[in-house]
Amino acid sequence: MAAVSAPSRHLLTLLALLPLALLHLWLAADLGPFELWAMLASAEHSFEFLQLQLSALPRLSMALLTGAALGLSGSLLQQITQNRLVSPMTIGASSGAWLGLVLATLLVPTFAASHGHWAALLGALLAVGLVLLIAGRSGIGGLPLVLGGMAMNLLLGALAAGLVLINNQYTQGLFVWGAGDLAQIDWHWVQWLWPKLLLAVPVLILAPRPLSLLQLGGDAAQGRGLALWPVMLVLFLAALWLCSVSITAVGLIGFIGLLTPNLAKMLGARTARDELCYSALLGALLLLGTDALALLANRVSGQLVPSGAAAALIGAPVLLWLARRHLAAEDPRGLQLPRGAERFGWRSALWVALLAVLALTVALGLARGVDGWHLQWPSALVWSLRWPRVLTAASAGAGLAISGLLLQRLLRNPLASPDILGLSAGATLAVMLALIIFGGAVFGAVAPLAAFVGSLAVLAVLMLLGRRHHYSPALMALLGISLGALLNAALQFVLAKGSGDSFALLGWLAGSTYRATPAQALWLTVGVLLFGALALLFQRGLTLIGIGDGVAASRGLNVPRLRLVLLVLVALLCALVTSLLGPVAFLGLLAPHIAVMLGARRVLPQLLLAASLGAVLMLLADWVGRTLIFPLQIPVGIVASVLCGSYFVYLLIRGRLA
Amino acid sequence: MRRCLLGFLLLWLTPAWASDAPRVAALSWEATEHLLMLDVTPLTVADAGDYRAWVVRPTLPAGVPSSGSRLEPNLELLAELQPELIVIPPLLEDIRPLLERIAPVQVYQGFSQQHDNLQVHREAFLDLARALGREALAKQRLQAMDAELVQWRERLRAHYGQRLPAVTVIRLSSPTAAFINGPNSMPQHALALLGLQPAMDLAPSPWGITQVPITALGRIEEGVVLHIEPFAQEAQLFASPLWQAMPFVREQRFAAMPSTWTYGGVFSLQYLAEAIGEALLKLPSESGKRPNRP
Repeated sequence: MAAVSAPSRHLLTLLALLPLALLHLWLAADLGPFELWAMLASAEHSFEFLQLQLSALPRLSMALLTGAALGLSGSLLQQITQNRLVSPMTIGASSGAWLGLVLATLLVPTFAASHGHWAALLGALLAVGLVLLIAGRSGIGGLPLVLGGMAMNLLLGALAAGLVLINNQYTQGLFVWGAGDLAQIDWHWVQWLWPKLLLAVPVLILAPRPLSLLQLGGDAAQGRGLALWPVMLVLFLAALWLCSVSITAVGLIGFIGLLTPNLAKMLGARTARDELCYSALLGALLLLGTDALALLANRVSGQLVPSGAAAALIGAPVLLWLARRHLAAEDPRGLQLPRGAERFGWRSALWVALLAVLALTVALGLARGVDGWHLQWPSALVWSLRWPRVLTAASAGAGLAISGLLLQRLLRNPLASPDILGLSAGATLAVMLALIIFGGAVFGAVAPLAAFVGSLAVLAVLMLLGRRHHYSPALMALLGISLGALLNAALQFVLAKGSGDSFALLGWLAGSTYRATPAQALWLTVGVLLFGALALLFQRGLTLIGIGDGVAASRGLNVPRLRLVLLVLVALLCALVTSLLGPVAFLGLLAPHIAVMLGARRVLPQLLLAASLGAVLMLLADWVGRTLIFPLQIPVGIVASVLCGSYFVYLLIRGRLA
Repeated sequence: MRRCLLGFLLLWLTPAWASDAPRVAALSWEATEHLLMLDVTPLTVADAGDYRAWVVRPTLPAGVPSSGSRLEPNLELLAELQPELIVIPPLLEDIRPLLERIAPVQVYQGFSQQHDNLQVHREAFLDLARALGREALAKQRLQAMDAELVQWRERLRAHYGQRLPAVTVIRLSSPTAAFINGPNSMPQHALALLGLQPAMDLAPSPWGITQVPITALGRIEEGVVLHIEPFAQEAQLFASPLWQAMPFVREQRFAAMPSTWTYGGVFSLQYLAEAIGEALLKLPSESGKRPNRP
């Protein structure tokens, strides 16, 4: 394929664009091919004619414009950062825009209806700014940027989900936007968008030179008199602008910006200019194709199928396939956390114990009632309602912390945790599928089983892909990103349907201890204790694998088998927790790190300390969720994700600035 | 029975002594509506604030506290309020064992495509009345509603003549998408009770609604389209040429109906029928009947 010269490659793609555009038009106008022809020939202004003129044609233009803009923006970002995993979606722009719009709709609904795009733009800029701050100068070119973006996506996603859940009646119209829909009713958005995309012209003319110099490396570029940072900053802002206005116009459509530059490169685009131009062209083609699929699904099912859902459905597997081909090298750089104490002293132990006692007292005794706050030992009835929740929260916290720690040690990756690796997303996706297939009636019975199957499936994929690439952090993160984005698209799709089941699902997704029965709470506790004890049995193996596979093998360990056993253990633990609670982000990631920062650096103390910290954090999160907006309750998963996520981001920024 | 009647009187005459009034917690809005129509003021209502904002009728007295969300009502608050009966929707069936520790629980059947939602709600209302010893009142209220519906039917016939227009009720969700109330939705039941046919054929769904692209509405060749207010982007959509070209807009077969809750209980039908009737009476009498079939 690489043998095709650039002009003929462009020409071939343009030729492919033509029949696809016709197909799209035909599907969007809801007409047969001959009718379409007759319509174009006739002069009569029927409704069908207007539909073609005011809905189908604008939609076609919109697909081409936004596709090209997203492709160009992605290519620009990837070339600036020299990072093939960067795209508006992976560095947090999309989720920032989404949160901005949700906030605007809730706080100033009239403003949001007319000028919501400014809120989206601001949200995107702020989110990306934070991610850049986290990744730092040196991290932009590598995995830190992507991991920071992923953390930001999880955090902002949790915040937005919480807001939507608490205000369930007011956000209906948002969901269609959130699901990414290209449908048009006039030329308004096309006319709004195209002047804003004119920025692409100077970019295409001016960007290639500095970008080709960058390809030689930053030092070489500076050596030839290029003021590196200002140019990169301007180009970065241009890329963000292109993607923000596109997101504003059509909603959340992921993957296009990530996939097209990679595809362009695969199809032989070598020079900076060629890659930019070809990415724009390919982006238009790709979005047109996915939107045609969405229209087709729409026609077959008689229901609205948002374009964003179709894009994610195609994009996620393609991304994985690309990853399999391209990601062999291990990227040792992670994100920087503050280093903390060298050893775990009595003073720290006392603080942790004090915190645990406080958390337990508050969780069990301090509550709100009709007439305000009261601190008292609960009555028998209230006790019977309260203890299963408290126990579930604590055991789940401990379980997540243990599974996070195991993953971090096994994969020698400080950012491994069930949520980052996509185990939670896989479990959630399976539950959502179960809901779509079986309906809401049997939801309670099917959900745990589906969660288990889902996280096992993700683990199997991880093992298959991971073994070839030595469990490289980039690959793991990529799988998490693909699954997370797929999950998000599916979630937006289900939400956009707007039935009562949507909110039941959102409630489960939020991760709540509300429905935990005494039996479930006890089983969870037994399970977590059992798996925790099993993990302790492997502490020598964990220490050795943490140093390196070679070291572990030289001490007589069967490394592949040990890794398999421990990974299955993690999947079981994660499935156990997720099936009961739904996904809880960040806790499994954070607890082991706090333990290390407190000085628990060896496996045994770290495991014990992380588990207790996880339990305490979840206890507090559950309590906050129960009391903060009494009598309403915020699901513990959201509280924990937002609290731990904010703290994590704070730590990352502190670690960067230190 | 006498004790209940007495209680009923006490409730109306001397609220200060009304200790005999049943202490019932309603964890869904249908249940709230049914209780209020039985002249029972609920002890607490799930999402009481949203009920006042969205359902509006029948009016919930201002003093009734919220008991948390309808998905996850606050159990500890319920325990503190000590109800005598808790009425729950099927959605909460899985926490029934927990609720039963607090008070006896009554559950009714919910929205589903397997059964006639209207009939199910009627039975749920009568069941509740039986549990509270207020069957006579319940039957009286249902009869009053039926009489009201007959009146609306006659008013429509007086306006439109013997052939009534076909009607479809939609709720706009964005300028490019709309929810259509199809078979088994409460608006369609209200239409049927008014003797009106649907203007668009749709497959039944559990909640009775289907979301379609806005252009699909252009396929409604005959019959009236009513949209439920409010819709925030009304100005933007209604001014667009495409909307203006929709057959039902061009031929003035389109009207707005006042904000009405479409997932309510039995009596939401009466409110829906009122809203539909009022909207239809505003339209010229030839609306929606253009193609004269032999």
